[in-house]
Amino acid sequence: MHSVLTTCPFCACGCGLYLHVENERIVGVTPSKKHPISRGNLCVKGWNSIEHVRHAERLREPLIRKNGKLFRTGWDQALKRVSLELLKIKKKYGGESIGILSSAKCTNEENYLLMKLGRAVLKTNNIDHCARLCHSPSVLGLTNAFGSGAMTNSISELAGAEVILVTGSNTTEQHPQIARFIFEALDKGAKLIVIDPRRIELSRFAHIHLRPRLGTDVIWLNGMMKIILDEGLLDDSFIKMRTENFPEFRKFLSRFDLGQVEAISGISLEDLGRAAKIYAGAKRAIIIYSMGITQHVSGTDNVESIANLAMMTGHVEQEITGVFPLRGQNNVQGACDMGALPGMLSGYQRVDDPAVLDKFSRAWNTGLPAAPGLSSVDMLHETGRIKGMFIMGENSMLSHPDMKNVRASMEHLDFLAVADIFLTETAEVADVILPAAAFAEKDGTVTSTERRIQRMRKAIPPVHLSKPDWQIIIELARRMGYPMDYESPAEVMEEIALLTPIYGGVYYDRLETIQGLQWPCPDRNHPGTTYLHKKSFARGKGLFSCIAYRPPDETPDKKYPFALTTGRVYEHWHTGTMTRRISILKRECPEGFIEISPADARALGIINGEPVKVISPRGEVTTRARLVEGLPGKTLFMPFHFREAPANALTNHAVDPQARIPELKICAVRLEKVT
Amino acid sequence: MRRAPGKGDLMTDKLILYKEHLNSFLRKITKGFELIAPVRNTYGDTLFEVIPSVDDVGIDLTNRPILSPKRFFMPQVETLFAYRYDKSGYTFKDTADNTPRVIFGLRSCDTRGILFYDLIFQEGLKDKYYLDRRRDTILINLGCNQPGENCFCKSAQSGPFLTYGYDIQLTDLGDRFFVEIGRPRGRELLAGWSYFFRPATQADIDAQYEAVLESEGRFRHRLDFDAAIEKLINQKVDPAIWEELGRRCQNCGGCAYVCPTCYCFNMFDSPCSEKEGERLRTWDACTFAGFSRLAGGYNPRQDKAQRIKRRFYHKLFYDKQKYNIPSCVGCGRCADICFGRIDMLSFIRLICEQKEKSPAPAHRRLGELLLEAGIISQKDLDSAIEKQAATGKPLGVQLVEMGVVDKEAIAGALGCQLKIPGTAKNVED
Repeated sequence: MHSVLTTCPFCACGCGLYLHVENERIVGVTPSKKHPISRGNLCVKGWNSIEHVRHAERLREPLIRKNGKLFRTGWDQALKRVSLELLKIKKKYGGESIGILSSAKCTNEENYLLMKLGRAVLKTNNIDHCARLCHSPSVLGLTNAFGSGAMTNSISELAGAEVILVTGSNTTEQHPQIARFIFEALDKGAKLIVIDPRRIELSRFAHIHLRPRLGTDVIWLNGMMKIILDEGLLDDSFIKMRTENFPEFRKFLSRFDLGQVEAISGISLEDLGRAAKIYAGAKRAIIIYSMGITQHVSGTDNVESIANLAMMTGHVEQEITGVFPLRGQNNVQGACDMGALPGMLSGYQRVDDPAVLDKFSRAWNTGLPAAPGLSSVDMLHETGRIKGMFIMGENSMLSHPDMKNVRASMEHLDFLAVADIFLTETAEVADVILPAAAFAEKDGTVTSTERRIQRMRKAIPPVHLSKPDWQIIIELARRMGYPMDYESPAEVMEEIALLTPIYGGVYYDRLETIQGLQWPCPDRNHPGTTYLHKKSFARGKGLFSCIAYRPPDETPDKKYPFALTTGRVYEHWHTGTMTRRISILKRECPEGFIEISPADARALGIINGEPVKVISPRGEVTTRARLVEGLPGKTLFMPFHFREAPANALTNHAVDPQARIPELKICAVRLEKVT
Repeated sequence: MRRAPGKGDLMTDKLILYKEHLNSFLRKITKGFELIAPVRNTYGDTLFEVIPSVDDVGIDLTNRPILSPKRFFMPQVETLFAYRYDKSGYTFKDTADNTPRVIFGLRSCDTRGILFYDLIFQEGLKDKYYLDRRRDTILINLGCNQPGENCFCKSAQSGPFLTYGYDIQLTDLGDRFFVEIGRPRGRELLAGWSYFFRPATQADIDAQYEAVLESEGRFRHRLDFDAAIEKLINQKVDPAIWEELGRRCQNCGGCAYVCPTCYCFNMFDSPCSEKEGERLRTWDACTFAGFSRLAGGYNPRQDKAQRIKRRFYHKLFYDKQKYNIPSCVGCGRCADICFGRIDMLSFIRLICEQKEKSPAPAHRRLGELLLEAGIISQKDLDSAIEKQAATGKPLGVQLVEMGVVDKEAIAGALGCQLKIPGTAKNVED
């Protein structure tokens, strides 16, 4: 038996854990004690992160569709088919008719290679990944305001905070190991403000819990800032020295009518004032936010408002302050960093910047498309524009809103290839399915939510005939006439470092420590960066933006009287492909449900545990009712992990016009008893 | 079991091994056994590892490994057997494949953990998977001269040195180890290479005695297990404590996973195809909801508070009743990792410090706490006290009935009142 240090495959906390290997099987997990986040413990998912690797349903060999049925085939035939079909589409309709979805579950190296394959070989910028569904507004909004879209500070700084404001993040369930630092701060006397429509685990520890109506974040944020302005709680010298456009913003705020706050958001001015004073009055305050802020048609507005709030009070640019967008997937930060985005190459270098394009063209020795490509939402919700797709390790069928629409777009494609570890709902409609290696079967790096670049290490060989995604991409590139010659992911990272300034000093030999490296790390001697914007924002001066309220796209009406919001549970991960195959996690939460307040349930005559039909303008789902205290009236909550009760059959695909994120956090539904 | 080569000259059960000979001795062990020892790796973590060659790794006798060696006896995920179904019915294939092993450098708490497992896995149906591994493993215990930050093995009567149960026990005497032979197979192992050892002198024996005394004086924590068990037997733990512990538990299962005596497991079949598959067992934890949930969804221990209560009752009271020892060896690993402080160390402290009588007078103080936390206003308090005069209800109940606070806020404030560490003053809505 031996032990291999790797990084947890679930969330972006990025815990370090050891896999214990015996006879090429993983037989146990030990959390690292020296790791800055795991500190000797994991959450229930991390402790159980191994069973799916050897699960019997792992894809064993490539599958190819003939006459509507899937058949086993060899690698050569499958790869040949994928490359020929994609090249055919490129020739017939042009590169812009090909769409590529990269994966926040895959390594940095794999994301980099796939975006290179897309841009250099298939000549398309239609490359995206699931960050579209989670933090695209953060990448955009925080870049606009600060010059960098990443979490400004490090996770461990939370333990020293005086005030922590958590909004739209169910931290104990979705980032349990980050929640540990919040508890540490509380033990030291920190004040906790939770702003969330639902009563979440954290709100039980909160000094103030404010419950806005779904989709009214800009209102309470502007209200809070107006109060701070009126009360003179702003940080004048910070604003003067470090920011721009504040005079405009001040004018905008002074016109803001505080009277509308309670009417629209449901939060009383008195409570909001208390929260404002606690946040603005602290020396060291941190804002944590997540999907509750971003998954709205006003996602970017919400993020920019949060940035305004942090700048106005001087709670950024220093240690133990800042804005913490908690990223979801283990490598969603890295997938963004690597340029799996329609408008950006690796390191957020814009495709429409001629100097950038020139640099990459010369490095890759080929011409590159200059116009920004389509987002995943546009690829999957607009039938006809995209003819062929390659999807690596994403289960968009379950994760994107409006499932019927996604299915129609996928089925309408001339060709779809999927690389994954299981036959996911997305793979089920593919023409070719390539069996990929799981996290424990390959080498690479992943970047956690605090910009920490860490190694994923191969503990066992890939099961059956599966291959690591980076090898699959290399094989495809070769067959498409663009040889990629990399011996190992380390060699890919050497190229990334050369072309990506924020990763400039990232080399594998430097990652052989327990703490990895936090970007920006511009050169080999740079120690990495624990917090951003020290002494000056990445963009120079922080930018205040005047943000007007934009209501949700779809609100309850007579026909659909309930507001449905979606999210996750502690025991499961996203579309459940891994966690629902892990015995303990499956047992802890075996099936889907919809949460409803006891009062609403009573009015409809629904009892706890009873099956109910949930109907939205886009579809219907049958699941069990779970009566819970702490939901606002006429509001329902559903997790999206369960294929038998897919919440995303109901959700709305209206998007934020800037970030193109769909409004997964609110749609209108009605409930019916199943008789 | 492997027989020792040749007859050694070990006339006594107390020997001396000079530290300069340690690696030579361990190297000999690797020739006939799989050697497992604590290794500090390049990332700074110490783990029990299989040692292929003693010269290639840094054996760490200073830091205690993150987990006890329980995974070498009951792996977290274990294949019990493979099955195959065909026309003639089921055929089973045993997957066990055990090699003789020596675990070197266990601490007393960990050895005691294994001794506890011995009780569990031999009781009733003998667990062949555990017992096969156990039979083939020799334990070399290393007593602790320096207890760790959260160690309380002395209070749990399982350390820092053992008086029984080990095959061999070492005491660090600076330049040499004092070696005690506990069981015949320990003697057999040493006899094979008796030239590394010399009999201990009276001076060595005195030095060892002193080391034990000194170590026992170094504990930061002294817990009264008997008093704690007494409280549990007599149901004297304030219900508010269970509620508060339930509130703080984040259900990671870590306390059970790191515990050297937690043995609960789950078993299930993992089919490879319609005809073949494996039966697996995995570590489980009684604090998980699914652990006690029944078919049909009813759970007799639905709330975290109930499950935590059951966990402490099991470890302290039920096991004491059944096996005459509580199933806590005082290693403090749960205290190292539980951020909610629902660990044994904090728990025993909490209930032993709790005053016998309920903290009176509750009326004024609860009101003050809620007032201080900004949960209620002076007006609310005054009007509640006024109403209370008429209704005679406790202040908390009165406030809830008035709709000024909810039960959780009261529970939070009661937590403060009872001085439960880490209780946040709680405000909602």
